[in-house]
Amino acid sequence: MSGTRNMLAAPIAVFSSLRLTVLLLGLCMILIFWATLLQVQMGIHEVQLRYFRAWIAWFDVVPGEKSFPIPFPGGMLLGALLLLNLLAAHIRRFKLRWEKAGMILVHTGIVLMLLGELFTALLSEESQMRLDEGQTSNHSASPREIELAVISRDMDGIETVNAIPFSRLADGSDFAFDGFDLRVLRFFRNSEIQDARLADGSFDPMRADKGMGATLAVREKPRETAMDLRDLSSAFVEIRLADGTPLGRWLLSNALAGVERFDAGGKTWKMSIRQKRFYHPFSIRLLDFTHERYLGTQIPKNFSSRIRLLNPGEGEDRETLIYMNHPLRYGGLTFYQAGFDNDDSTSILQVVRNPAWTMPYVSCAMVGIGLVWIFSQHLIKAIRRRRRSEP
Amino acid sequence: MNTLARIVPWLIPALCVVALAAWSWRAMRPSGDGFDLEGFATLPVVSNGRIQPLDSLARNRLLSIQGKQRVPGENPPPSPAGWLAELAFTPQQADKRPIFPIHHDEVLGQFELKQEDGKSFSFLQLVPRLGEMSGEVSRIATKDPQIRSPYEKAMMQLWKSLGSYQQLKFSIAHPESAGLESDLTLLVEKAREAKGEEQKRARGEPFAAALTDAAGARMKVLSEWSTQTEVFTKPPAMGKLASEWRKLPDAAVDAIGQEELDPSTLAFARMGDAWRKGDPAAFNTALSGYSEWLATHRPDDLGKAHAETVFNRLAPFYTCMAVYTLAFLCALLSWLGAGHALRTAAFRVLLVGLAIHTAGLIVRMLLEGRPPVTNLYSSAIFIGWGAIALSVLLELFYKNAIGTAVAAITGFSTLIIAHHLSLSGDTLEMMRAVLDTNFWLATHVVIITLGYSATFLAGIIGISYILIRPFWNIPESVATQLRGMAYGVICFATLASFVGTVLGGIWADQSWGRFWGWDPKENGALLIVIWNAMILHARWGGMIRERGLMVMAVFGNIVTSWSWFGTNMLGIGLHSYGFTDAAFLWLSAFIGSQLLVMAAGFLPGKRKPSAPIQAVS
Repeated sequence: MSGTRNMLAAPIAVFSSLRLTVLLLGLCMILIFWATLLQVQMGIHEVQLRYFRAWIAWFDVVPGEKSFPIPFPGGMLLGALLLLNLLAAHIRRFKLRWEKAGMILVHTGIVLMLLGELFTALLSEESQMRLDEGQTSNHSASPREIELAVISRDMDGIETVNAIPFSRLADGSDFAFDGFDLRVLRFFRNSEIQDARLADGSFDPMRADKGMGATLAVREKPRETAMDLRDLSSAFVEIRLADGTPLGRWLLSNALAGVERFDAGGKTWKMSIRQKRFYHPFSIRLLDFTHERYLGTQIPKNFSSRIRLLNPGEGEDRETLIYMNHPLRYGGLTFYQAGFDNDDSTSILQVVRNPAWTMPYVSCAMVGIGLVWIFSQHLIKAIRRRRRSEP
Repeated sequence: MNTLARIVPWLIPALCVVALAAWSWRAMRPSGDGFDLEGFATLPVVSNGRIQPLDSLARNRLLSIQGKQRVPGENPPPSPAGWLAELAFTPQQADKRPIFPIHHDEVLGQFELKQEDGKSFSFLQLVPRLGEMSGEVSRIATKDPQIRSPYEKAMMQLWKSLGSYQQLKFSIAHPESAGLESDLTLLVEKAREAKGEEQKRARGEPFAAALTDAAGARMKVLSEWSTQTEVFTKPPAMGKLASEWRKLPDAAVDAIGQEELDPSTLAFARMGDAWRKGDPAAFNTALSGYSEWLATHRPDDLGKAHAETVFNRLAPFYTCMAVYTLAFLCALLSWLGAGHALRTAAFRVLLVGLAIHTAGLIVRMLLEGRPPVTNLYSSAIFIGWGAIALSVLLELFYKNAIGTAVAAITGFSTLIIAHHLSLSGDTLEMMRAVLDTNFWLATHVVIITLGYSATFLAGIIGISYILIRPFWNIPESVATQLRGMAYGVICFATLASFVGTVLGGIWADQSWGRFWGWDPKENGALLIVIWNAMILHARWGGMIRERGLMVMAVFGNIVTSWSWFGTNMLGIGLHSYGFTDAAFLWLSAFIGSQLLVMAAGFLPGKRKPSAPIQAVS
């Protein structure tokens, strides 16, 4: 038993040192500062993925053509090490005494907060619901991620949606369906589409022979970084029937509105590249969107969406108002007023699923109370010292 | 000597209060030659989305056009409101006043203008260049503001100033109208006659086409006039919403359907005519009639406008700057040997300053109906206030005049920063939708701003320590006190910045659906928390001692200024609505100066140096 304790002593001593804490905090500061600057070129989402939610962050020392990336501990690594450091320190010095209660409370709160951020990174889903006034919808769409949807419709009018996620789309990837094969010939993560007659040599030579993309040409573009722009993904896909007969080549893109149709295996199919969809067991109808401005200015005063919540499964059918700083929490999702469009007749709701959303509230309260506890102890000590020193 | 020691602690603050009273009396003294410009200044209008007195309208326009409220030149108007009256009623006179500063050489060169002794240019001088300027402006307008050159920015700024100057001309009068009252009355009468003719036409009877055509032309003038101003002059009827204020030309159109012009329109027209004729009596009669009408029909608006006018004229935050300077001088002298008496005097003067500062903050809160921090300007005012309030506690605890001195320095510098931020226009502006919540402004914004205050305060204690050390053998007792002060303030800073930052996250979760988005402003706040936590851990781990604590506290200034201003300069993210442009150079200079001070912290001191800062392994 004591042997195990000795074996653990050395790593615990290293991991529990305050020096390590200070070093890790310093590294965090460098990472955060550097990554903040990089947001100007790279955009906030890319920076999150590459620096804060990464184990190793690669920084370009010489930005531009001849890049020279150097590795730096990423947010995940620093968070994990801080967590280890904290746990080790508390294991080593743990004493259940009132004087230590503040310290324990603060650090438990911080552990909770780090874990909350981790769970959020792993579990949370963000999407948007776009509603015109009077429109009802039961799904929201990811603003960034796309999918290739292949939809069949049976006799009763029930649609079956097959969604191929973005991660599986690549040049040459093949998907077998009931009665046909779909092959992705070319995939462009972000692209520009133009009339084929005006396209120069920088455009891909491939053309479609079916559908609305038959007269268009595509070229690859660097990923979008601005917060308000999204990637336009495109793909040339080929459909072959089960007997090997080619049916044609289509250009699909989320830049093109509408779907492509074809017949195979005795059914009519629809396909399109669209923003990844999340279906909900209830629907929302937008009754009215209002956008108030202060008199004589363009300064927005309030945005609000009056909606009707329809959940036949639960027998719910009620009205509610979503506006700035007052989201709707329903069915494990939260709906926020995020934007508007079409001359104030379309409302955009942000839809967030974050099972860990309460953790920051709890941890904030713990750390706050803990800090007040610690610092009032310091203050009381200081006052006592003064009393003693004064005659 | 003994009597002097008894008198001084009361005498200096008393003299300070007397001087302040005299200054206030002078500021409130009526000015002008017969025209009741004070009453005129108090009239409420709606501009920039809020009810404000003509006084604020005039002051803020002058500030954003020329960076000061006083109009230069010979025979200047007695007050900003006097300038506004002149601009609206006798624009040919106002157009001669040199109020447009042009500093950029290329802009000057473009218009073949020469700068004479740093003097500004008048509208009259710029008129011949307007055509050429508008060509340049429409070219620049297509460019992204982020990538405009300094010349292009200067050009756009000048164009904006000229635009807002022109708009004021149309706010309460029309420059082309010879007799305002007669023109407006005639217009209403003729429009009514034309209406009768229109009805005849509708019935197929013969009608006077000349009458309807003339009325149509007049209506066109009114609708054009309405687009030329953004000031709303006609208050709604009693009990109606503030969003129902009307512009003067629109009010004239409304009058066609009613029997006569409404009291506000009539009053402005009569005041304009009287001003042009140089008839103070007629001006004052029209003014007092309208004021009485307001007092019965819109008492709240009038009261608010009156309070804001008094606030503008007393300018409490400018007064504070003088008071803090006096407090600092007294504290300085107290160390040079004058001792206890001056120390107490300095502290009392500081309290006078703090009282005015607090009163100013409260009046601003009442005027806005909001917590103290709503924009960058008010954050500067509040950071100063917070730092001073904390220093007062330090001074009560340590009684060594250090608290007073650092409070005075922080107060003075933050108010200077606030002054420069006020140049961008109306500091009581309305809040954008997402910010429109008193709860989160009162909790997140106020607490995080207190965190800024405390971090700056610790930094200034650090600077004082580092700068004194090479010249003065700091006695152990004073060193202990300084250490204790810096440490205590850093503890408070950690608490306030942590709680403030997390509350910000919770607000973000409430309003746009994620607790933490790594937005620049959020990251900046987090950096302050981490830096303060680092100082505390380094201290607890024995990695730093006295000097290390002070040097690290100074770096806190850099971290905080980055979070406060630097992140806004990136111009990205959800928090970038507080963007400031020219502040970049100042921020760089500030950061440079702090680095120099930190370097100076490594110089050997007079006292036996404390144990060297050990490198972090």
